[in-house]
Amino acid sequence: MEKTRIGVYVCWCGTNIAMMVDVEAVAKEMESRQNVVLARTYKYMCSDPGQDMVIRDIKEHKLNRVVIAACSPRIHENTFRKALENAGLNPYMLQMANIREQNSWVHSDRIEATRKAKSLVAGAVSRVNHHQPLNKREVPVNPASLIIGGGISGITAALELADAGKRVYLVEKESELGGIAAMLDLTSPHFYSISDSLKTLIRRIEVHQNIKVYMDSQVKQINGYVGNFNGEIKIGNKKVKNIDFGNIVVATGLKPIKPETIENYGYGVFSEVITSLDFEQVLKKGSVLNAYGIKPKNVAIIHCVGSRNEDYKPYCSRTCCMTALKYANMIRSALPEANVYQMYADMRAYGKHCEELYADTSGKNVLFLMYDQREGMPIIEKDAIGPGVLIKFNERLSGEDIEVPAELVILMTAMESGKDAKSISQMTGTSLDANGFFIEKHPKLDPVSTTTDGVYVVGSCQSPKNIPESVSQARAATANILATIAKGYVEVEVITAEVNEDICCGCQFCIQVCPYGANNYDQRKAVSSVNEALCKGCGTCGSACPSGAISTRHFTDKQILSQIEGIMAEVGSG
Amino acid sequence: MEYNPTIVSFLCNWCSYTGADLAGTSRMKYASNIRVIRVMCSGRIDPTFVLKAFTEGADGVLLCGCHPGDCHYHEGNYKCLRRFHLLQKYLDQMGVDKKRIRLEWISASEGKEFAELANEFSETIKKLGKSNIKEEMKVEDKKSPESAVHRPARMGLQSTVES
Amino acid sequence: MSTRINPDFKNELTHFGKDEWNECYHCGNCTAICPLSKDGFLFPRKDLRAIQMGLQDKLDASLEPWLCYYCGECSETCPRDANPAELMMTLRRYLTSRYDKSGLAKLFYTNHIWEYVVLGLMFLAIVVAFLVFLPLKTDAALMVNESGGVMINSLVEGINAERFIGIIEYGDWTMAIVIALLLVSNIVVMFYKSVLSENGIRIPFSSYFTEAWQLVWNFATQSRFSKCDDKQYWIGHLLLMTGYTIMFILVVVFLPLFQIETVEPWWHWQRLLGYYATFGILFFLTIVTIKRLQKRDVKLKYSHPSDWIFIVMLALTTISGILVHIFRLQGMVAATYYTYVIHLAILVPMLMVEVPFSKWSHLAYRPFAIYFARLKTVAAEVEKEKSHKELVPAVGS
Ligand SMILES: Cc1cc2nc3c(=O)[nH]c(=O)nc-3n(C[C@H](O)[C@H](O)[C@H](O)COP(=O)(O)OP(=O)(O)OC[C@H]3O[C@@H](n4cnc5c(N)ncnc54)[C@H](O)[C@@H]3O)c2cc1C
Ligand code: SF4
Ligand code: SF4
Ligand code: SF4
Ligand code: SF4
Ligand code: SF4
Ligand code: FES
Repeated sequence: MEKTRIGVYVCWCGTNIAMMVDVEAVAKEMESRQNVVLARTYKYMCSDPGQDMVIRDIKEHKLNRVVIAACSPRIHENTFRKALENAGLNPYMLQMANIREQNSWVHSDRIEATRKAKSLVAGAVSRVNHHQPLNKREVPVNPASLIIGGGISGITAALELADAGKRVYLVEKESELGGIAAMLDLTSPHFYSISDSLKTLIRRIEVHQNIKVYMDSQVKQINGYVGNFNGEIKIGNKKVKNIDFGNIVVATGLKPIKPETIENYGYGVFSEVITSLDFEQVLKKGSVLNAYGIKPKNVAIIHCVGSRNEDYKPYCSRTCCMTALKYANMIRSALPEANVYQMYADMRAYGKHCEELYADTSGKNVLFLMYDQREGMPIIEKDAIGPGVLIKFNERLSGEDIEVPAELVILMTAMESGKDAKSISQMTGTSLDANGFFIEKHPKLDPVSTTTDGVYVVGSCQSPKNIPESVSQARAATANILATIAKGYVEVEVITAEVNEDICCGCQFCIQVCPYGANNYDQRKAVSSVNEALCKGCGTCGSACPSGAISTRHFTDKQILSQIEGIMAEVGSG
Repeated sequence: MEYNPTIVSFLCNWCSYTGADLAGTSRMKYASNIRVIRVMCSGRIDPTFVLKAFTEGADGVLLCGCHPGDCHYHEGNYKCLRRFHLLQKYLDQMGVDKKRIRLEWISASEGKEFAELANEFSETIKKLGKSNIKEEMKVEDKKSPESAVHRPARMGLQSTVES
Repeated sequence: MSTRINPDFKNELTHFGKDEWNECYHCGNCTAICPLSKDGFLFPRKDLRAIQMGLQDKLDASLEPWLCYYCGECSETCPRDANPAELMMTLRRYLTSRYDKSGLAKLFYTNHIWEYVVLGLMFLAIVVAFLVFLPLKTDAALMVNESGGVMINSLVEGINAERFIGIIEYGDWTMAIVIALLLVSNIVVMFYKSVLSENGIRIPFSSYFTEAWQLVWNFATQSRFSKCDDKQYWIGHLLLMTGYTIMFILVVVFLPLFQIETVEPWWHWQRLLGYYATFGILFFLTIVTIKRLQKRDVKLKYSHPSDWIFIVMLALTTISGILVHIFRLQGMVAATYYTYVIHLAILVPMLMVEVPFSKWSHLAYRPFAIYFARLKTVAAEVEKEKSHKELVPAVGS
């Protein structure tokens, strides 16, 4: 057998790692480990020169295993696997040690962090000795896609895919398409009528031969893996339909919170107080009137209702500042004489043409009054001397306690994730963040994929987003999907289990524990075997098998045990 | 000086490992004595791994998986939970304080929770002091030629090492 | 207690100068850059805010506008071009109108036609009064002294020099007293609004005296102005101010010594002081006029009608004064008489209108505002010390 030759690379990550970890010392320590041929450090291992160095070393020094101590494998494992592949080495002969996210960024004692880095790298070196070359498995891709949610994001994705000639199943739980966007009048920052364009898009969807829309429907179950999913859709209350598809786009959007829960705003108590979505309906009717049908002389728009507050939603709902400015402009043109107040916490005018809208609005005799939720939220009560309500709070920019009379109050209510988000995330094997929004694979480099291949999350189901952002995400996801369809096949995880029939005692524990029914028992041979197409490689059977007959590829007992040994071995200090 | 223990931690790839990464991206500081080993699912955490960590000298072992219902593989974490209880019993019988092993659910967004957990567990282990399993195992090893890690299999905990 | 906001208030301010209040987004850069904003008196942002929200009582009580010397740095720094410096100027005009209870200041600022009318009427009244009651003598020979200069006090028919100077002096004092009374009453209003009506503030009695030097010092040196980065304006302003004050004192207090029949040699103290004052005023006027016309300096970019009236009146007074001097030296009797009448007919309305009711009142308000601000600061310090002392034993026990 070929002799094991390991190359160890310790990344500085600029100063990210090098500041807290003595990378040179780590590399030096590794030089003396068994089978290590060379150990180097480099500023940015993931950069082209960094990768080229690995490739060159593999060729020149006949390395057959590589350890890279750098950032989290969840970020760059694939980058380096590709590098190994380019050097003609099997990509699975790589092991990474996470000395950034789980070391240099979380510790503050350089000596300790360096010691820990040595252990982690030693663990990786020890483990990589037992790595086995694995071959990738390719499976054909079903060109149909499932889109969950028929808001602007889902609609965009559906049309993109269908126009490219691919089959689309669009599942919408309501009886109308369009989501929140369909409820809006004009949109910020351009005062452009989204409902008009939506109507055109929806009409196209309805007649498109490649799109099958399921209205009033819900996805009940999803099985399979990228390229080969299978799902059950419940249509209305009765029918259940079974469909096959290769990719999934989750576009379930969000919904406004119920402002009744925030008592100080008096929503539901005073008819003068309405929500932003209520006001969109008022605007759609064409004139600005309050609940009593009178033209208000004072209109107050309160920002961050339920947002950016630990008691309700800690995050920023992101579209409400601009929507509030939009309202101010529309009220100004409908009621030129009215006083318009913006009660805001911070003005978030991010994005194209938004700061301009802010500057423009502030020139229109709109009074911006700042409050701080930590100091107390605005309180709405009946105005003793005027016709409407009074809003009382401490105005931050003047430091004064003030009261503002208003006959119309618009609450910019927070947006929260849809109530089905949880079940959809479980069905699709994706995760939700602490606020119930879907987590993307990488917030910067892979913002529409998820950790489950073939499942994409787009639009405001990921976090509150405006329309252009939602649409861009939908298009980004469809571009990804079309690329996989064009390729015709996907490489699926080779990390599956396998049974060593010689050792298997036929106890069938593995069959009991496998969540995918991937284990079969062969009566004739009296042993179990794994169906690799179904196995997802969780490794549960491996830990259940009493005779040690099952090993999960790339996470074999030997590999993990030797990693433990490596980690626990003494390391030099300093 | 206070004894600085060594803790081995097994994190599932999908939730807990991502959560620990998040603690890093959020620059939260926590005890540096935690050494993480990534597994695909908490269901993959073989009791042997835990015992191996102890016999190699770990003073504590921390297991983390997705919250119930969130496991990427549906139910690996339930399997882990079951094994964990057995394992605690087993360790108890071996005379190892069962506080030296802990199982918690950490989701991908719980960076803060992971950092806090790491600190908390590190404190617990510091209080318990150095684990003497490694030394004891050495003595026993001299008596028996078998590797210590084979023992659990014989004692009925369904696991073993490939030979 | 919370204050009800009044967004309509800002409309009341439009005639005082700046009429756009929306640009500011309260980044606070102006206050940060202002060399004079400190020690519990932070401006100009907070005043801008009070205007936007219509906090009129707060504005009426504020001393800050007087603490600003319009260096313009805030406006240069403002990312929104909100022009806070001009706002402070506007507020000074507004405050002048608030201190004056007669309503004239407000009338003049918001409707300057009235100012022209009043100035014109007073001009005419004085000219007519002279022509009717104090006409020029017909016998010109008696009016020239031995050195050939015009004997200025002996020009009037039927009245000797002593009588004449007596009449003028009497008029001077009357005018000075009227102006002083008006100013003092305005300052009392200012004191009431800015110091007395503020709750919870107790000025230690002794500080009224210990801080009084602030008044004199600031009046004489404008030392606050010198803290602005561009020292040119301070020097120019000081020239103008000292020139003007010297002239005022010469003409009112020392009139019999100043307005004499003999022509003293050019190096005589009385002529030197007169030249200094004339130069100071003219120099500054020229520069300011040019800059106001150029509209390049932030400070002088925006001119309210009251600014121009001020410049024009002062220039006319000075020029007519110079002419009187020249005609006297040349022995031109009639010319001397008529320019003298015109000089008075410009000077008197200028002082009567400008000093108590318009731009010139700032010469009194500024030092007093600084004095009041000092009083408030002292009061705050005493308060702080007291609470500190109360705390100390608590900490000790
Ligand atoms: C008051 C208000 C004003 C706004 N103004 C503007 C503006 O001026 N400019 C701008 O750019 N943006 C604005 N926005 C933001 C804009 O509405 C969103 O960006 C956009 O609607 C997001 O679209 P989406 O498709 O991602 O989500 P949504 O519009 O929420 O659509 C989600 C769809 O999925 C469906 N769905 C949910 N769960 C399921 C399920 N389990 N199964 C099947 N279907 C499901 C829902 O019924 C819905 O149809 C505003 C938002 C609000 C609330
Ligand atoms: S977008 Fe503006 S109003 Fe909405 S939550 Fe964020 S800061 Fe508040
Ligand atoms: S658990 Fe192991 S021994 Fe039992 S049937 Fe499965 S592979 Fe065979
Ligand atoms: S690794 Fe997981 S999915 Fe694969 S066979 Fe084993 S238990 Fe089933
Ligand atoms: S006036 Fe200008 S500099 Fe001052 S706070 Fe407003 S925007 Fe900022
Ligand atoms: S003009 Fe000068 S003194 Fe006045 S507020 Fe602005 S920076 Fe301060
Ligand atoms: S994947 Fe996290 S516990 Fe199973």
